[in-house]
Amino acid sequence: MSALERLRRARQRLLAVLAARALVAAALTSVATVLIALAADALLGWSAETRRLVALLPWLAGVLVLALQGARAYAAARAATDESIALWFERRIPALRYALVTRVSSPPDALAEAALDRLIADAPLEREVGVAARASLLKPALTLLGALALLALLPDGAVGRVTAPMAGDALERPGAAAAAARDPLATIVVRVQPPAYSGLSAESFDDPATVRALAGSRIVVEGLGRDVRWLREGAEQQAESSGERWRLALPVPARAEAMRLSGAGRERILVIEPITDSVPVVRLTQPARDTVMRVASGALALAASLEDDLGLAEASFELIISTGEGELYEFRTLRVALKRFASSEREAALEGRVNLDSLNLKPGDLIHLRAVASDRNDVNGPGRGASETRTLRVARADEYDSVSVDPAPPSEPEKDAMSQRMLLQLTRELVARSRRIGAEATTREARRIAIDQTKLRQRVGQVVFQRLGEDEGEHQHFPGDGHAHGQEGPLNPDQILAAAERAANADPTRSLDNHGDETPVVAINRPLLEAYNHMWRAATELETGAPAAAIPWMERAIAALQRARAAERIYLRGRPPNVVVDLARVRLAGKNEGDPTARSARPNVDPLRAERLARFDAALSVVAGDPAAAADSLLLLRVTLPEDERAAILALDAAANALRQGGDVTLALSNARRALVAQPPRRSALAGWGF
Amino acid sequence: MGVLVADFVWATAQYDSGDWDSAPMVAPNLIDSVARYTTIDVAPTGVIVPLGSRDLFKYPLVFLTGHLPVRFTEVERSTLREYCRRGGLLFVDDHNHDIDGEFHRTAWEEIATAVAPLKDLPNNHEIYRSFFTFADGPPTTSHELNGWGDNLVHKHLQAVERDGRICVLYSSKDYASEWNYHPDNKRFISLDNTRFGVNVVVYALSR
Repeated sequence: MSALERLRRARQRLLAVLAARALVAAALTSVATVLIALAADALLGWSAETRRLVALLPWLAGVLVLALQGARAYAAARAATDESIALWFERRIPALRYALVTRVSSPPDALAEAALDRLIADAPLEREVGVAARASLLKPALTLLGALALLALLPDGAVGRVTAPMAGDALERPGAAAAAARDPLATIVVRVQPPAYSGLSAESFDDPATVRALAGSRIVVEGLGRDVRWLREGAEQQAESSGERWRLALPVPARAEAMRLSGAGRERILVIEPITDSVPVVRLTQPARDTVMRVASGALALAASLEDDLGLAEASFELIISTGEGELYEFRTLRVALKRFASSEREAALEGRVNLDSLNLKPGDLIHLRAVASDRNDVNGPGRGASETRTLRVARADEYDSVSVDPAPPSEPEKDAMSQRMLLQLTRELVARSRRIGAEATTREARRIAIDQTKLRQRVGQVVFQRLGEDEGEHQHFPGDGHAHGQEGPLNPDQILAAAERAANADPTRSLDNHGDETPVVAINRPLLEAYNHMWRAATELETGAPAAAIPWMERAIAALQRARAAERIYLRGRPPNVVVDLARVRLAGKNEGDPTARSARPNVDPLRAERLARFDAALSVVAGDPAAAADSLLLLRVTLPEDERAAILALDAAANALRQGGDVTLALSNARRALVAQPPRRSALAGWGF
Repeated sequence: MGVLVADFVWATAQYDSGDWDSAPMVAPNLIDSVARYTTIDVAPTGVIVPLGSRDLFKYPLVFLTGHLPVRFTEVERSTLREYCRRGGLLFVDDHNHDIDGEFHRTAWEEIATAVAPLKDLPNNHEIYRSFFTFADGPPTTSHELNGWGDNLVHKHLQAVERDGRICVLYSSKDYASEWNYHPDNKRFISLDNTRFGVNVVVYALSR
């Protein structure tokens, strides 16, 4: 190998040493940053958020140093010419006597080159490079190894807190065990293992005030120290101790519970709240509505959509077929289109088809149809959801008239309304002509209209007369039975007129009679009675030759007839016989009304709310002196709140957490109080039955 | 401010599915019994109240019966849930008198969904002593006894209790048939078979 080749090889090795040095420096910086962060965490006890930021620092510092060292090496590589490297060797090997520099810089001369090569051949260039490399790398490399060894000696958990912080590593803080001797409840970690069917992964929480977990989950509470007890549902138990840690495991309770932990004279409340697995939500999309079928034949398409929060297990359509009438019914239950789902399916569609011919349905049969679905809950389930029920009925032959429409003459009120309109039209025309034809002719024609108006009024009176008579007929009487029904027998025309007068002047929100609830017959008759009264006033005005004054009464009569037409469209479902019990007769008490015990009104919810506020204010009074006790008080208050006051629950959780974390808690506390003060939804009270 | 005192009103629940009006004479018959044996101020006629209506909350006791499958709408379910929360009592009677019939099965499902699952009511429960004493638990009906009925005797009523108080009372004994006659005909029977209904009314008003 020639001298020039040896020189260039040495140059490459020197540049490699520079690169290696840059890498070692970067690694050393990273490890040193980790060690500094570890020390700071041990002293200050950084929060998880701070540690997540600090975890980036070793990488950033390493990259920065690598970039600086790399730039330096790059600059050196660019500046390293054959001459500069040759001079570097001449300084370290005086025996070369500038032979190497001369060999590199002299113009080509074969004789001289051969002589110089002989001189250079004995020079230990490679050894000098090795010496220089050792001098450059040994110290930082040894420092790096030392730092790594120190890091390896530290507990994995403590290092992990800084390098890869995660929920649940609060107990790994260096030095925490010493602090735990004074207060084993200062730091706790809660680990939640959801039930297997849910497919959810385990979660951990550092220092939580409240833990929400799916019902059926297993909860493990851990802390540092010893002799920790926990009180739950009145029973005190000792937590397991293992090494420096205490540990207790329990299932998630059925309802929110406050678990009281105590140890070394300290107490702490932990609220555990179950999250209920929702039952599947099922919507029946086909058939879309209830149906009456004339003939049960053909195929019926069924469709439903299904949804569950964790996963569907199976679904099907359920048909209950009822056959019979009166007291004799037989039932069949069918399940069609059963579908089982894979574990991960949370949304699905269910479709099916039913052949109605195969159901052998008879007239009068009913099919109650719905979709049902169950979830995978094997802890306290499975949760079963069902859609709304559709009813399909096969019509009976004797009810066909109710499903078909036959032409029919207009009802009596319809005909009366048409006649009244005609009379009104005639009256208006008369008023328009009255100035032209004179007063005498106007009066004469008005009286002619009055005669028709009176005839029409009498027809309306007959309708009312007939209907009130029917109502009386429906009412079950026994002669002399003592029922205080007032009117016995049908009404005479004077009584109808009196009723009409009352109807025209009555409060429309009250019924005409005083028998109790307004029956449909009265509902129909009230506007007819009003019309009757208005017609009488109109006829009176017409009789006196004042057609213009009659018009408003005729318009009111038409309006009342229109209301009567609307009242005809009342449809009742199974109206029971209106039996009125004669209480005095039953009690054999004559006029004795009895002496019932008064039912006292129940207190409204405000006292309860006031009590909560008093508890909250009591907790506020200890915030300055003992924030932990105040947090516990707020958590105990939170457990007593009903589920539907979610805003107050969350606000109290936030306030308790803020108190535990320290700092300014004013906003959290004011939010909590505001949520507690919020007015409850207004509901009518049950205080007085019957109101 | 004075205390408002109203007459007790016998209310029959009207629900969307089924024949809710299958026993129309139960109301006057029970009103007659309440008037006959107690001093409770009682309205002379009953009312029909839709199960999904907030009017339900006006009545401390609501009677529900029928033969056909019971399927509540979501509104009916939530109203019933709220009714129970407010302290009302829903008395459900299977008009079929059978075991595991469709009314029975569907009513149980719906009550479990809307309120809570029904459980056997012990035969020494206070409802059997709230006015008349029924030492052996719920009185049997003619539909249960051999000869007129099918000799199928249900030993217990079922109930959902809330805060130590019944909020849903369920019967398979077919009191709806047993009590479905005009009160004037009560004079033809030696022992009034509606006395247990009085116990239910008194229990609903006093617990």
